[in-house]
Amino acid sequence: MTSRSLRWQAALSTRGGRILTGVVILCGAILVYLLSSASADTPAFASGIVWLLGAGVAVVLLLMMLAGYQLVLLRRRLKARIFGSKLTLRLVLLFALVALLPGVLVYSVSVQFLTRSIDTWFDIRVEKALEGGLALGRNTLDTMLRDLRTKAEAMSLSLTDQGPAQQRHLINALREQAAVQEAAVFDQNGVVRVFASDAKERLAPRLVSGELLQNVRMHQSSARILSDPEEGLLLRVVVPVTSRTGEMHVLQLIQKVPPDITRDADAVQTAYGEFQELMYSRPGLKQMYGLSLTLALLLALFASLLIAIYFSERLSAPLGVLAEGTRAVAQGDFRERTPVKSYDELRILTRSFNEMTRELAEAREATQRYQSAVEGAKNFLESVLANLSAGVMVFDGARGLRSANPSAGRILGVDLAGLEGIPLERWAEREPRLGALVEPLATMLAGGSARMREGEIRIPGLRGEQLTLMAKVSGIGRSGEREFVVVFDDITNLLQAQRQAAWGEVARRMAHEIKNPLTPIQLSAERLQLRLHDKLAAPDADMLDRLTRTIVDQVSALKGMVDEFSRHARTPAAALRPLDLGQLTREVLGLYESSNPSIVAKIDPGAALVSGDPAKLRQVLLNLIANAEDAVASVTMPRILVTVEPATDAVALRVADNGAGFPGDMLHRPIEPYVTTKAKGTGLGLAIVNKIVEEHGGTIHLENLVSGGARVSVLLPLAQRGPARQTPLEHIAHG
Amino acid sequence: MTAAPGRASEPAIHVRSADVSVTTDGAVLDANFQIDLGDTLEEALAKGLSLHFVAEFELIYERWYLLNLWNRTIASFELRYRLNYNALTRQYRLTVGSLTQNVETLADAVQTMARIRNQVIASRDDLKPGQDYTAQLRLRIDPKQLPKPFQISSIGSKSWNVSSEWYRWTVRP
Repeated sequence: MTSRSLRWQAALSTRGGRILTGVVILCGAILVYLLSSASADTPAFASGIVWLLGAGVAVVLLLMMLAGYQLVLLRRRLKARIFGSKLTLRLVLLFALVALLPGVLVYSVSVQFLTRSIDTWFDIRVEKALEGGLALGRNTLDTMLRDLRTKAEAMSLSLTDQGPAQQRHLINALREQAAVQEAAVFDQNGVVRVFASDAKERLAPRLVSGELLQNVRMHQSSARILSDPEEGLLLRVVVPVTSRTGEMHVLQLIQKVPPDITRDADAVQTAYGEFQELMYSRPGLKQMYGLSLTLALLLALFASLLIAIYFSERLSAPLGVLAEGTRAVAQGDFRERTPVKSYDELRILTRSFNEMTRELAEAREATQRYQSAVEGAKNFLESVLANLSAGVMVFDGARGLRSANPSAGRILGVDLAGLEGIPLERWAEREPRLGALVEPLATMLAGGSARMREGEIRIPGLRGEQLTLMAKVSGIGRSGEREFVVVFDDITNLLQAQRQAAWGEVARRMAHEIKNPLTPIQLSAERLQLRLHDKLAAPDADMLDRLTRTIVDQVSALKGMVDEFSRHARTPAAALRPLDLGQLTREVLGLYESSNPSIVAKIDPGAALVSGDPAKLRQVLLNLIANAEDAVASVTMPRILVTVEPATDAVALRVADNGAGFPGDMLHRPIEPYVTTKAKGTGLGLAIVNKIVEEHGGTIHLENLVSGGARVSVLLPLAQRGPARQTPLEHIAHG
Repeated sequence: MTAAPGRASEPAIHVRSADVSVTTDGAVLDANFQIDLGDTLEEALAKGLSLHFVAEFELIYERWYLLNLWNRTIASFELRYRLNYNALTRQYRLTVGSLTQNVETLADAVQTMARIRNQVIASRDDLKPGQDYTAQLRLRIDPKQLPKPFQISSIGSKSWNVSSEWYRWTVRP
C-alpha cells in the first residue's frame, strides 16, 4: 500500500488517492460498527473477534500512514514555500483540533464510564446473593435427599424379611405412603424384583449401575441427584434390603424434584455461572471495549485528519491558483487561469482575477501598440533627422542642449553628446572654439517669441578655417517659449561656390571685354611701327621699335593673362580613374631633375591607388611646386620636400618648403581665387588646386611649419571607394 | 475435584501415546493424553465455566519432493469436548462429540477425555498397504469457543491457551 500511495505524488489531490482514502475510511467505519456489535454479548464474530481487532489495528495503521504521508507532503510544500501551504497547515490544525477535542472528550468519558459500569456489575453483594441462592438450592436438594433417604431406610425396614409377593404387595402402599414417584427392589445382580411407579406408562425402573450395587453390598447407601434431560432433576436413594433368604437386595427410590424448584435452582445456577464467566472475562471485557473505543477514536481522528487535509487543500487550492496567476501576471503572462470549481466567494475571486488579467492583457496590448506606433514615429523622425544634412539642435527653456542630430555635431566638429544638458552660455568653457557661436545663438534664442528667426553665424572650423553657418531658430511647445529648435547648415561651401561662380563670370566677361580691344591695340601698334619706322630718324626709329615691341609684348602678356582667367572659369570636368599617385609624382619630378633649387621626394611605395584625373593632378603638382619654388626664391638654402604617403582612407600628397610661409589671415580663410602673396601672380594657382582637389572629393590643408616655411597637404580618397563623390559644390559650380 | 497426581499450577497437555491401526472397521486411532488443567482452569471450571477442548488429527501422505507443498491430507477429524461442572448436583458433565455423560469427579472426567479408543479415522480403502503416512495429533483448548473477552485477554496467556504440541508419527498400514 505504501508503494502505491507513494506513487501518487500528492496522494489526496489525485482521484486515486481520494478513492483510496475513502475506501480505507469506509473499511474503518465498517470495522468499528462490527466491533461495537461484536462487543455486545452476541454470538456474532464469536470466533473472529481477535481477527476483527487485528483488522481494525491494520486499518488504523494504514490511515496513520496515509495521514503521515500527507503531512510529510505538506511539510515538503511548506519548505518549498509553495503559496497556500501555510493556510493549508493552519486549516489542517484547526480541523484536527475541532475533531480531536470532542473525540478525546467523548473517548475519555466513555472509557471512564465503561470501566466504572463494568466494575459495578461485579458487586460483591451480587456475588454473595448468587452464591447464597446456589447454596439455598443445594441445601434444599440435600434436605429433600436426606428426607428421601429416611423414607428409604424406613421402607427398607418394612421390606426386610418379606417374600417377593409380600414385597410386591407392600411396595406400592409404601410408595404411596412415602409420596415417592418410583420404588424398585433389585436383587444383588441388579435384576428387578418388584417395581412401583405413579406413572402408569412406566413399565421398568431406572437401572442401577454395578458400581452402585457393589457399594450397597458393602452396606453403603447412596443418595444422588440425577439430571434427566426429560424429567429434570431426580433424587435417587439406594439402600440395602435384607431379604428373607439373607440375600442382600437393593431398594431404589426415585423422587422427582418439583419443577418449580428445579427451574429456580437452574436459574440460580445459570446466573451464577454467567456471573462467574463475566467475572473471569472482566479484564478481557475492559480490554475489548477499551480497544474498540481506542480504535474508533484513532479511526475518527485519522479519518478526520485526512478529511481535514483534503478540505484544506481544496480550500487553499484556489489561493495557489491565484498566487500562480499573480506570479504569472508579474512575469507578463496574461493567460487565463482555470476557474475554481466551487460555489462560493473563491470562485468569484478567481473569476474577477481572470477578468483583471484579461483587462491587463488588453491594456498591455494597447500600450504596446501605442508604444510601437510612437517608436515607429520616433524612429522615422530620428532617421529623418539623422539623414538630414542640416544640423538640428533642441534647447530647453533654460537654454540647455536637449538633443542634437549627428549632422549638427559633424558641422560644428564637436561631440554634442558631451554638451547635452549644459546651458548654452557655458559651452565656451567646454569647447572654446564654439565661443563664437554662443553669443549670436543666445541673441537669437532670446529674441521674439513665436516668430522664426534666422541669421548667419561665423565660427572657426577645426583646422582654423572660417565656417559660415546659416541658423534658424523656432520655438516649439505650447507656450512657444519652452523649447527652441535650432536648424543650421554649413553654407561656407555654398558661399564659396557662389563667389567662385561670380568670379568666373566676371573673369569670362572681363576676358572677353579686355580681349576685344587688345587685337586692335596690337595691330595699331604694329601698323604704327611699319608706317613710321622708315620715316623716322634712327634714334626715333629705335625708340619706336622698342616702344612698339613693349606694346605688343604687354598686349600678348595681357592676352595670356586673360586666357588664363577664362581657363579658370571654364575647366573641363575631371575624368576619374584609379591612379598611382606616387608614380605620377615621380614622373612630374623627372622634369625638375636638374633644376635649382633641388626637390627632395619621399614616396611611400605602400600608398594605395587613388581615383583621379592624371592631367589635372599633374597640374596640381606643377602648381604646388611652382608656388614652392616662388616661395624659396629668396632663401639662401632653398629646400622643397614632396611626400606621398598613406593616410586614413586616403593618400596624402604634401609639398613643403622653407620659405616665408603663409600669412596668418590666409591660413584662416578658405582658398579664394585672385588672392595672392606674390608680387607677380594671378592668385589662381591655389584656387585651381583647390578646385581640382574638390572635384576629386579630396581636401586641401594649408599650414605653416614650426621650423619655418609652409606646407600644403592634399588628401585624395582611395580608388576602392568607387568613383569620387560628386560634391554639392560641383553641382552648384556647373549646374 | 480430586487433585490429580503431580498437578502443576500451569496447565499442560501432552500426547502420551498414539497409534493408528487397521481393523475391519477401517483405520482406527487410539491415543492417550496427559492432561493437567492447572489451578486457573480448575477454578474456572468449579465456578461454572465451560471448557472446550478439541483434539485434531490429520493423516498426511507426505511427498518427499517440493517442500511438502504437494502433501495430501488423506484423513482428518476434529473431536470436540465440552467439560463443565454442575454446582447444584456437584457433578461434572463431559460432552464428547454428541455424547454426554455425567461424571462424579474431575479426575474421572479428565481420565475420560485423555483416552481415545477405536476412533475410526478412515476407511480401509483410503490407505495403501506398505505406504508410509504421517499422522499428527494434538489436543488443545478450543480458542474459538472461549467467550469473546477471553479471546482477547487469553492472547499470550498460558493459563487459557493450552495446547499440546503436534505429535507426529509414521503410519505404515
